[in-house]
Amino acid sequence: MQVALMDYTKFRLKPDPEIREVFGQANRMFVLSCGKCYKRFEEEGEEQYAHLVEVLGDESNKTAGNVRIDFLCNEFLSKKRISSLDFSGCESIGVISCGLGVQFVARLFERTPVYALADSVPHSLNYPTEVGYHGISLEEEKCAACGQCYLNLTGGICPITNCAKGLLNGPCGGATNGKCEVNSSVDCAWVRIHERLKKRGEQLSSECVRPRDHSRPSWKLRSDLSLQNQMLRGEGFYGGIHPLEKKEATADKKIQNFPEPRVAVIFLCQHAGRRAKPLVEVGERVLVGQKVGEADGFVSASIHSSISGKVISMEERPYPAAPRNELAIAIENDGKNEFDPGIQPREDFEELPKETLLEIIKESGIVGLGGAMFPTHVKFSPPKAVDTLLVNGCECEPYLNTDNRLMIEHPEAILAGIRIVRKILGVERVFVGVEENKPEAIAALSRLAAKSPWVQLVCLKTKYPQGAERALIKRVVDREVPPPPKGLPFDVGVIVSNVGTLFAIYEAVAKGLPLFQRVITVSGEGLTRPGNYLVRIGTPIKDIIEYCSAGSVDGVLQQCDVKMGGQIMGIPQASLDSAVVKGTTGLTVLRKYPVAVSEERDCIKCGRCAEVCPMQLYPLFYGYYGKKGDLGKAIEHKVEECVECGCCEYICAAKIALLSFIRQEKAYARSANKA
Amino acid sequence: MLVVQIKPKEEILPLISSKRIFILECLGCRDVHYPVEAAEEFIGDLKEEVVERASLDYLCHREFAQEYIRAYASQVEKAEVVLVFSCGVGAQVVSSLLEDRTVYTGCDTLYLNGFQGLTAKEYNCEQCGECYLNYTGGICPVALCSKHLLNGPCGGSQQGKCEVDPDIPCVWQQIVDRLVRLGRLDTLERLGAPKNWNVSPAS
Amino acid sequence: MEAVVGEPIGGVMKTKSNLERVLETGQFAVTGELGPPQSADPEVIRRKARILKGYVDAVNVTDGQTAVVRMASWAACLIGKEEGLDHVVQMTCRDRNRIALQMDVLGIAALGINNMLCLTGDHQKFGDHPAAKGVYDVDSIQLIKIVKDMRDERKLQCGEEMAVAPRLFIGAAENPFADPFEFRVPRLAKKVAAGADFIQTQIVYNVDKFTEWMKGVRERGLHQRVKILAGVAPIKSMGAARYMKTRVPGMDVPDGVIERLQGVTKEQVSREGIKLCVDIINQVREIEGVAGIHLMAIEWEEIVPEIVEAAGLMPRPRFDT
Repeated sequence: MQVALMDYTKFRLKPDPEIREVFGQANRMFVLSCGKCYKRFEEEGEEQYAHLVEVLGDESNKTAGNVRIDFLCNEFLSKKRISSLDFSGCESIGVISCGLGVQFVARLFERTPVYALADSVPHSLNYPTEVGYHGISLEEEKCAACGQCYLNLTGGICPITNCAKGLLNGPCGGATNGKCEVNSSVDCAWVRIHERLKKRGEQLSSECVRPRDHSRPSWKLRSDLSLQNQMLRGEGFYGGIHPLEKKEATADKKIQNFPEPRVAVIFLCQHAGRRAKPLVEVGERVLVGQKVGEADGFVSASIHSSISGKVISMEERPYPAAPRNELAIAIENDGKNEFDPGIQPREDFEELPKETLLEIIKESGIVGLGGAMFPTHVKFSPPKAVDTLLVNGCECEPYLNTDNRLMIEHPEAILAGIRIVRKILGVERVFVGVEENKPEAIAALSRLAAKSPWVQLVCLKTKYPQGAERALIKRVVDREVPPPPKGLPFDVGVIVSNVGTLFAIYEAVAKGLPLFQRVITVSGEGLTRPGNYLVRIGTPIKDIIEYCSAGSVDGVLQQCDVKMGGQIMGIPQASLDSAVVKGTTGLTVLRKYPVAVSEERDCIKCGRCAEVCPMQLYPLFYGYYGKKGDLGKAIEHKVEECVECGCCEYICAAKIALLSFIRQEKAYARSANKA
Repeated sequence: MLVVQIKPKEEILPLISSKRIFILECLGCRDVHYPVEAAEEFIGDLKEEVVERASLDYLCHREFAQEYIRAYASQVEKAEVVLVFSCGVGAQVVSSLLEDRTVYTGCDTLYLNGFQGLTAKEYNCEQCGECYLNYTGGICPVALCSKHLLNGPCGGSQQGKCEVDPDIPCVWQQIVDRLVRLGRLDTLERLGAPKNWNVSPAS
Repeated sequence: MEAVVGEPIGGVMKTKSNLERVLETGQFAVTGELGPPQSADPEVIRRKARILKGYVDAVNVTDGQTAVVRMASWAACLIGKEEGLDHVVQMTCRDRNRIALQMDVLGIAALGINNMLCLTGDHQKFGDHPAAKGVYDVDSIQLIKIVKDMRDERKLQCGEEMAVAPRLFIGAAENPFADPFEFRVPRLAKKVAAGADFIQTQIVYNVDKFTEWMKGVRERGLHQRVKILAGVAPIKSMGAARYMKTRVPGMDVPDGVIERLQGVTKEQVSREGIKLCVDIINQVREIEGVAGIHLMAIEWEEIVPEIVEAAGLMPRPRFDT
């Protein structure tokens, strides 16, 4: 659906004579052009520079070159870009942008003259009576930001931005045929206001609307809010978002045992790498903790049964973490909860050598429980030397409290897990990163950390995705991991591990328990029993949703999204027929949002995606080239460095399905790399 | 970038007194600023019946606002007043989509410097149409001088601060300092002619 | 008082201004100031004008000083003119756009007021109507040029010609003590280039700084192109002194001045404040390039005769033509 969009381009090249005047004073000039904002994104053009060269004619050798920078006034990204440019031989810098871009560049170059080559474009009827600001959209409506909104008196039509004189007690005597005397193509705002009020059965006030107070909003208020905003945006790492946390429903709920399932559906691949080889057959009886799948190769993991009972089937089922089917063993519960006799606690586990500890982790089928499901024994065998263990207690996703409750209820176990891993990795320094929104967890860990001087608890400002590896490493130890797909934390000497994984490591090493259960948060909208549950791996998702909801769950997917994980990176479930896997951090049930993201909409160049991307990319290109079908161009714009955190799609003002495009482009890149 | 403050209670309460209210709240610019506590307090203190409080985003986007109104049609129907918590753009868009319903705004809107993105700036652009930056070393007096003088400073500039408020930097002091650093103070001796304050978008 | 007859140095007078005459005949000028009432009462003006008559060459009437509503300067000038004094109307850019300013210039000249001081205007936040919109369509320098072109080119700012030009002696204010200090002399140069005929400075209490500024002024030869009148004022009380020191932007009241006033009894402070003023007048008279003084005894107009006498500036020049 093509919607008529306004063009709020903010600048145009200065008139030719002024261009010549500028170059008259300047010598070798390097030109920076802004890629523009607030217009339909149509192409990555540089037509203004071309015209500049034309205007200069014989003097065009005065320009040393031109670089287009998208969203020039995005200080962080543009500074990065500009510092990589070669200005040698240039005596001045010319900027083709609105006043913001010029002022920004002028601040960067204190000793080099910086020239404006463009004029800003007014978009108001009645500047400077009022500068009218558009919203995060390309609609016609504008707001004067007067700080004393008159809309309640005028039926919702702004008299300041729509009346050429900005009258508050209009109309004046000049309207002819409902058109404004100043611009006859424009409707008289006050005629429109009168009509609107009539429709509502209201009237213009018979009292005089008081004169506007031009001292409001005060400079101080605006300045304070600006500073607050800059601090908020700058916390911890570049980019990120602050969604509503929505953790209150389950933050105080103690971990409860979820009832064992009648049938456990245990996938043979719950990890990155090769699927485990099945060790059992249909008809066999298995026990709790019994290995039912053998790791196939180095990057793989073992699978253990989570209940005791009979294997009733081995077939493909919908996989919860990706839109495909995977082979799964279904076990019918015999109700006895009988454990494999090989499972024995180890009193002396603190004495065990690191090779033994690593072997136990491998044998116990432990993978990253933060969601990535990377085989832990592989992670703890890095090809490069590492000097730091970074424990991830951030849990930055809205709704989830899994790690939070583990830290509150089992801090000693986590610390024991940390000791084990520290020994395996042979590192001195251990940091534990926890977001500020978990005061109880911080208190619990601080008490313990106080006794262990080699572990440092770091409290982090809450911002999504602070828990993403790169953001965490940057914030806690100020190191930059090289970008994906090749870069990994060990490239800068760091290993990151989730608190849930460390807890599982303790359970495995100290108690002999392989990974067959985990804590998940069930939360969202319309649930009667939200909470933090210790569930057996393989528990059907339907069972959990039913248990936690009021009544039948048959129609739930029509009204709601059910996500494996949290609100932002959680994987939407196409059906409730899947089951809990090792990487299931939670199940989040959310009423479907009235507007879904779409691949059809046009980008409006609001610049927000570039402001929120923690990998410092420009996601608008992924949408633009995705829609065009030019996936190769997306690769040129570094789509492979994307970590799919979802911030861009979350903030996108045009609600473009950016993640969908990004996944298509990355898949294309992977297949292109293999070829 | 537009951000909001909740209007004083005295202004809104008389409008919604004893009416059934449907609240449309826009959180699209929360990452710039949204007065969360003030909104909670205001809505929490309401004696009137709140049919529903729908927290959505980008009400300024007509297509989305239309969808929201459709999705909440029964709540709109049931309510006597639709109360919008959004900037003036969102409030106007919603009002135009509900022409024959009573729609009020609960917010005053103000502007933080900057057009795109989410991060406010310390400088600003007034979109005046006649960029003056080449005469001021790249610092804008139209946007940043309290009197938008082109031949500043005035006599009230004190220790780099504006006479209006000691926290406001005097932009003309900044301009002089910048030009001194560039060795180009003579640029300011140019007599700036009176400005055209009515540049049209078309010209 | 004797009549003093002299020939204008430059030759041709631009206006009928008495102040211009005094300056052009090379004599040390004295201008005064009166503040109009916050009411529609003309008697206040008449009373003050009568006090000043004969002791000043022209009297300024402030225009919405500190953004407070008072009788308009031009109206007060008209009332005061009836008492036989030459008046300087003050115009700020805060309240009027270029249309209103030019309209007022024509009206003021038609009413026979001979001098105009062009000012930017204190920000509206200082006054009794802080909610008012500040116009600032043009600034003081642009206004000087507008008036100059109206007078000498007979053209409005838009280029339209007019039949009879307004003959106004154009003044501007300058503050040697404001920041940025390094730009104060170049700013004066701009006003001179724009067409200022005379300058009245902010009140001088810091004679050293003023001397330094004058040095810069002389270095650029500005004192030969524009007539500079140093601002001076008596201090009535310690409270007034402290207020000026701390609360008035751009005022420089050195500690030495405060100490001097503290050195006398409370009853003697106003006496000392008058003596201080006379001392400063005597000092600035010695500075090359200072063509006169602008004596601002706001709400204390009755002290002006005493100060002018004590400074040896009587009698004031009179021209019979």
